[in-house]
Amino acid sequence: MRFALIFILAVLIGAAVFANAGYVEGKLLRADPDTVPADPALRRFAVSRGQPAFVAHCAGCHGVSGAGDPVQGVPNLTDRDWLYGTGRVADIEQIVEYGIRSRNSRAWSLAIMPAYARPHPNPADQNIRPLSPSEISDLIEFLFRQQGRAADAAAASRGAALYSGDAGCYDCHSLDAKGDSAIGAPNLADAITLYGDGSRDALYQSIAYGRQGVCPAWIKKLGAPDIREIAVYVYSMSHPGEMSNAD
Amino acid sequence: MSIGALIGLFLAGYSLFTARGASTLSVPAEDVAMVNQQAISRSDYLILLQTLYGVDLSHATREQRQKVLNDMIREELFVQRGKELDLASSDPEVRSALVNAVELEISENAITAQPNEATLRDYYATHQDRYVSEGVMNVRDWVFPAGGPGDIAANREALKSAAMLPETLARLHARESGKTQGDEFYFAAKIHLGDQLFASARDLSDGAVSAPIQQSDGVHVLYMLTNKRPVPFDFAKARPQVLNDYRNHAIDQLKAGDESFLRKRAIIHIADDLR
Repeated sequence: MRFALIFILAVLIGAAVFANAGYVEGKLLRADPDTVPADPALRRFAVSRGQPAFVAHCAGCHGVSGAGDPVQGVPNLTDRDWLYGTGRVADIEQIVEYGIRSRNSRAWSLAIMPAYARPHPNPADQNIRPLSPSEISDLIEFLFRQQGRAADAAAASRGAALYSGDAGCYDCHSLDAKGDSAIGAPNLADAITLYGDGSRDALYQSIAYGRQGVCPAWIKKLGAPDIREIAVYVYSMSHPGEMSNAD
Repeated sequence: MSIGALIGLFLAGYSLFTARGASTLSVPAEDVAMVNQQAISRSDYLILLQTLYGVDLSHATREQRQKVLNDMIREELFVQRGKELDLASSDPEVRSALVNAVELEISENAITAQPNEATLRDYYATHQDRYVSEGVMNVRDWVFPAGGPGDIAANREALKSAAMLPETLARLHARESGKTQGDEFYFAAKIHLGDQLFASARDLSDGAVSAPIQQSDGVHVLYMLTNKRPVPFDFAKARPQVLNDYRNHAIDQLKAGDESFLRKRAIIHIADDLR
């Protein structure tokens, strides 16, 4: 008799916990994603479930800490430098869901970095012509100047003309070289580099041989709750103070 | 018991004699609507709201929310009607969109599967010829009248100085072809020089002078100032490209596999005259 009572009680407690998790999960999904960080209960719930999901599906590239890897061109998710979008939970969720150049028709895949040392820098755009080695060097000097680093003045001037002219760099990275997060064009004027260490050699590698990183689309592999929870968890990585202050 | 059976019969009859069919009454939390049991995703709704009006859910007006929802329901209804009409059997645009969509679906699966480092290293090792830098050369191309500059070995130093002194070039009755200019990538030099001259130039070391090469406009002699031959990238440098190439390879394999599977399970009869 006592065993039966304990069993029934355990089942009832289990059912209550399950029902509460289902209730909070429903609330999380119905909420405006950008309001979740400001709601302590939803945020705690999402972060606690998003962390293991992140480790299982995203850490393979981004690392368990989310710090990324400049050797592989994997972005750091713990800073607030967003390559795509503005870092809102909704933007992050869209990337987790549909990816970047993931071949999903809703993925962010408008632009690629052409390979200027190849006969056809961007096979999808025949208007982009290759550059000569000296032109690439001039562009590198221009980028160094934009970043406030020591650069060859004459080469930088030639590079500036190329950047805003024939090479067409401005088309994605914008005229001031500060990039465009609507298409995932990195800011070239700051000290944060997606690929490599920001050296001349690393810049040469990017300009000469191109870049086109990929983030998979998880829409068909993960459920809507997992995706929302990962998005909130990723947001929490770059807003540790905000997340703990709100508690 | 009998009341339950009656309710069941009533529901079945209602479903049978109306076009709406039986449906669940609740909308899952991850969706904003169910249209004939087909979900309209909340996430897609939010993206469309942002795309159309540049606002998130909490800042959207009631009219904006309603408009987006109505548009999505309308789209779903028309998609379902399109399936009923079997548009894919007749409309070339629908057919093409479906083929593309199926191909993208296959590609997406290949991209989601992350290869491990050992697999990538194997791929790199077996395709190493792809991961090399583009060679760079700075070569001068002189054209001499028929007969050439005489003894190349004897004139080697004079030829080299001609790179710096145009009057030396004139004394040797030669001219610059103007085909090359400073450092050039191999592919550009090949286009500018042509296959024959490029083949000769590629093998020259820094400071070397080529043997005379007879062409229709005279005798060409190449003087190589610098020749940086293609250098293999190490794995770390090549890795982003290796990963892309590996994925593209996996996508091609998956597509071929899917097509083969579809052909195997299909019953295909071909007209006698086309067999």
